[in-house]
Parts: sequence; C-alpha cells; structure tokens
Amino acid sequence: MGEALVIRNLSKRFGGLRAVQDVSFSVEESETVALIGPNGAGKTTSFNLITGFHRPDTGSVLAFGREIVGLRPHDICAHGLARTFQVAKPFGAMTVLANVMTGAFLRDKNADVARAKAREAIEFVGLSAKEGTAARDLTTIDQRRLEMARALATQPRLLLLDEVMAGLNPSEIDQAVALMGKLSKRGLTIVIVEHVMRAIMAVARHIVVLDHGQKIAEGNPKEIVENPEVIRAYLGSGYTHVPTPEAG
Amino acid sequence: MPGGDRDNAKTTIMRKPRGWGVLSLCLLTVIVLALPGVLKSSFAIDILIRILLFAFIGVAWNLMGGYAKQLSLGHAAYFGLGAYTSTLMQVDFGISPWIGMFAGGVVAMLASLPIGWLCFRLRGPYFTIATIATAQVLMLIFLKFRDFAWGAEGTTIPNLGNAPLMMQFEAKAAYYYIALALLAIGLAITYRIERSRMGYYLVAIGENEDAAEAVGVNAPRIKRDIYMLSAFLTALAGTFYTQYIYFIDPATAFNFNISIEAALVSIVGGIGTLWGPVIGTVLLETTSALLQSWLGSSSGGIQLTVYSLILMAMILWRPTGIMGFLFEIYGRHIRAEPARA
Repeated sequence: MGEALVIRNLSKRFGGLRAVQDVSFSVEESETVALIGPNGAGKTTSFNLITGFHRPDTGSVLAFGREIVGLRPHDICAHGLARTFQVAKPFGAMTVLANVMTGAFLRDKNADVARAKAREAIEFVGLSAKEGTAARDLTTIDQRRLEMARALATQPRLLLLDEVMAGLNPSEIDQAVALMGKLSKRGLTIVIVEHVMRAIMAVARHIVVLDHGQKIAEGNPKEIVENPEVIRAYLGSGYTHVPTPEAG
Repeated sequence: MPGGDRDNAKTTIMRKPRGWGVLSLCLLTVIVLALPGVLKSSFAIDILIRILLFAFIGVAWNLMGGYAKQLSLGHAAYFGLGAYTSTLMQVDFGISPWIGMFAGGVVAMLASLPIGWLCFRLRGPYFTIATIATAQVLMLIFLKFRDFAWGAEGTTIPNLGNAPLMMQFEAKAAYYYIALALLAIGLAITYRIERSRMGYYLVAIGENEDAAEAVGVNAPRIKRDIYMLSAFLTALAGTFYTQYIYFIDPATAFNFNISIEAALVSIVGGIGTLWGPVIGTVLLETTSALLQSWLGSSSGGIQLTVYSLILMAMILWRPTGIMGFLFEIYGRHIRAEPARA
C-alpha cells in the first residue's frame, strides 16, 4: 500500500515562537493516525500547514505523491484532503443541507446531484433529522457532525479531524469512534488530533506525539503509553508541569 | 458588517416557488406593467422610475454585498464609468447609448478587476473604506482631466426629440419600461445564481471564508467574478440615468449617495435575499418622497432628519431587514415543512 501523506522537516515560526520544528512523519493509505501532545504542542499548526492555511517556513508535504506546500486551501481540498476545524466553523445562516451541499459542489456542479450526495453524507453522520435546521441553531456536537459531513461531501481521500471529540460525553465519544471505524473501513485515510485517550486507543494504529513543536515519539498505542518521554511531556518530571491554557 | 451574527433570516438560500408565489408574481407583473397607463401625474412616474432604478442598483449591489457580504460603498465608481462611457461614445462619436450601455458595462467589469484585486486584500471595514476611496479617486480623475470629459461643468446630452434608437423618448413611460426591464433582468440573474453552485459559494464566503476555502471554494475567484457582474449591472444603471436626466458631470455620476443608496436599500429590505433590495427601495423612496412633500418646504432639512431617524430605528430593531422579519413570521406561524435548500 502506498503512502497517503509524507511530511518532511516541517517548520513554522510565529515571531519568536517555534510552533512546529523539523517535524517528519508519514501516513499510509487507509491507515488512521493520531497526532497527540499537550496544549500548544503544535498539532493544530501542523494541520494548518498541511491544509494550506499557513505556509511552512521550511519542509515539504507530499500528499498522494504530489507536493502541496504553496497550494491554496481550496486546491488542497480538491486534491483530496479535507479537514475540520477545532472550533467548528459552520455557515451559520445556511441550513444543514445547504452547508453540506457547498462541500458536495466541489465534485458536482449540478445542484440536484450535489443535494443527493449531501444527503448521503448527512445520513452517514446521523444528522438527517436536522437537515432543514439553520447551522447556527445546532448544538456543539451537531455542529461537529455537520463539519464532518461537509468535509466528507468533498469526497476526500484523506480526512484531517481536529479534536472532533472535545467536550463530548462518553456515549457520544463511542458514537464518534464508531463513525471513524466506518470511515476507515471504506478505505479512507484519517489523521486525527485528539486528547481523548480512550478514543485514540480505539481508532489509531499509529500515534505521533508532539511537544513544544517537536516530534518526541512515534509508534503504536502500546509503545506510546509506555514511552517515558511521552509520560514526562504529559505529566512533567516530578509532576511539576503546569498545563498552559492555550489551545493546541 | 450588516446582519452578521444578528442575522436571523432562516436561510439565505431559499425555497422553491409555490403556487401562490407564481400567482402573486403574475399579479405583480400586471400591476407594474399597467401603472404608467393609470397614473397621469409625471411626478408620480418620476418617483416610480427612481424606485425601479435604485431597486436595480440595489439588486446589482446585493449580489456581492448581500450574498457574499462584501460590503462595498464604492459602487458609484461603476455607475459613473457606465454613464461616462456611453455619453462619451454618444457625444464624441454619435454611437447609440444602447451600444454604449454595454460598452460601459464592459468598461466597469474591466475596472473592477484591478479595484477588486486591491480591495479584496482587505476584509471587513477596511475593505469598505478602500471601495469608498476608489470611487472618490475616479470622481477626482474625471473632475481634473478637462480635455478628456468636460471636467467639472459636465455636459448636456444633445436632445434629439423622440429617438428610440438613441435611447431618447418623449413619453416618460418609455423610461419606466426600460428601468423595469433592467430590474427584471437583475432579478432573473439573482434568481438563477441563488439556486446554482455560485449562490451557495457566495453565501458560504459571506458566512466564513476560511471554512469555504476548506471545502474547496476558490474564494478569491468567486469574489472577483461576482464583483465583475455586479459592476457590469451597476454601469447599465449609470447609462440609463444619464439618458434620463440628459446631463452628466462627475458630481452626479460618481455621487457617493449612489453607493450609500445601493447598500441601504438592500440592508433595509434584507441583504442576501432576492426581493430585499426591491422592498427596501419601495419603502425608502416612498418615505423620502412623502416626507419631502409633507415637510420639505416648511423647514429645511427636517425631512432628512426624520428620514434618518426612521433608518436608525430600522437598523436597530430589524437588522435583518424587512425580508428577515417576514421570514421570522413565516418560520413561526406558517412554515409547515422544513426550509428546503
């Protein structure tokens, strides 16, 4: 099986802050990979670099064999990489259906075809009952579902999910895990940024750990939970680490 | 930005027309077509022409300012370019304004490319200020370069009597029907765009540009395209207006009030809705005309004060415009099925 995503020596500075430093990892096709790390580790920045919302200072991102650094977000989406945002960004005034249709229009110009494709995606995430609701009136979890449906409607080959489970209750997390399992079975490659360890263990075959913008560990879930570097990053040496409030 | 978070209109991408919708549209068409025959007062027809013209400019503005929420206050630039292009062609070369009108549209479209290229780098209020500046700069250019287009004095359009081929008519009703045709074209274009991919993309950009990019929307290109269309249509209005008043000078052609009016009628009527600019214009123009005839002569300026107070009240209490208000009522009491996008 080929490699969906190859990231080499990716770096990004914001002023004096090295948000991402020399990070390299790769994702095989149809694999689910989790990107974890404490707040401020550079996970969301990595997503922004991959999807074209920030331009890396150095490094390269190969997606399905094509260099995508320097492309605009919409080009990267057209190339088959779809993402969700940590803070959901729905098109508030539009209905759920119209939101998802906007994604579906990428592959089908015809409104009727796009509508049918959008309905499929909406059903897949379990939002069919709210198809006619304005996106701004949805609950947080439903807005996340909507983001996922909208991303899926662009028919991606690689899906990047940024903390889709934050703030969900245990049964909602189980639903989300099941959803990712279904997507993975369809052959979709998935990269998730996540804090919910239970979910990570359930879906990810491979985990990349970031801390202060650097990759500190990589491996399967079992290796990661036993890795002393990872334990130190999360708990601090002697448990003195004070978590920063800044979002990762 | 107008609306913004407070925008309560259920959805900007609207439903399919139903039976009563088609019926009321037919009825409206009959009334509107018959009006000049019924009304004898030329003052009334004059007001109606103004309403149709500004509704049309509002519709043109609404495509970009309403659906994509790119609040331009510089549409006078395109109104003026349209007016000057056709007038220069007519006065200097004797070319019919019917042709000049489309030439003006093309000039406006081309002008919108560099202007958009500059202004779209900015977002929110900065974008708005930049658009104001472009219109003002164009006015100054036409003021200063006297050899090119008569400078500040402007010029009158040679009166040829009844010359339909040169867009000159003795009957005011003819102008009424031209303005009506322009408005109908603008509404038809909006109707089609609203239901197409373009319409969804515009609203998506207006709601959240990053999220739109993330699902594959080429936001800069969509904004450029809709700005070109909006500029083209606005320029048609410029030609028509000049032909109607037989006079052109930079102060009228590039008047800041045109930019304001285009935005205002849409905001009052309901931005990002098909009929919003029309309803807004009818309301504002009638209010203004009535206030003027009641209060106008008594004490100078009072009608403007009352007009402004009505506007402020409107924007404070009904930021989604009349259409937003109607949709709210519709949603609360009448809606039997979910809004279909």
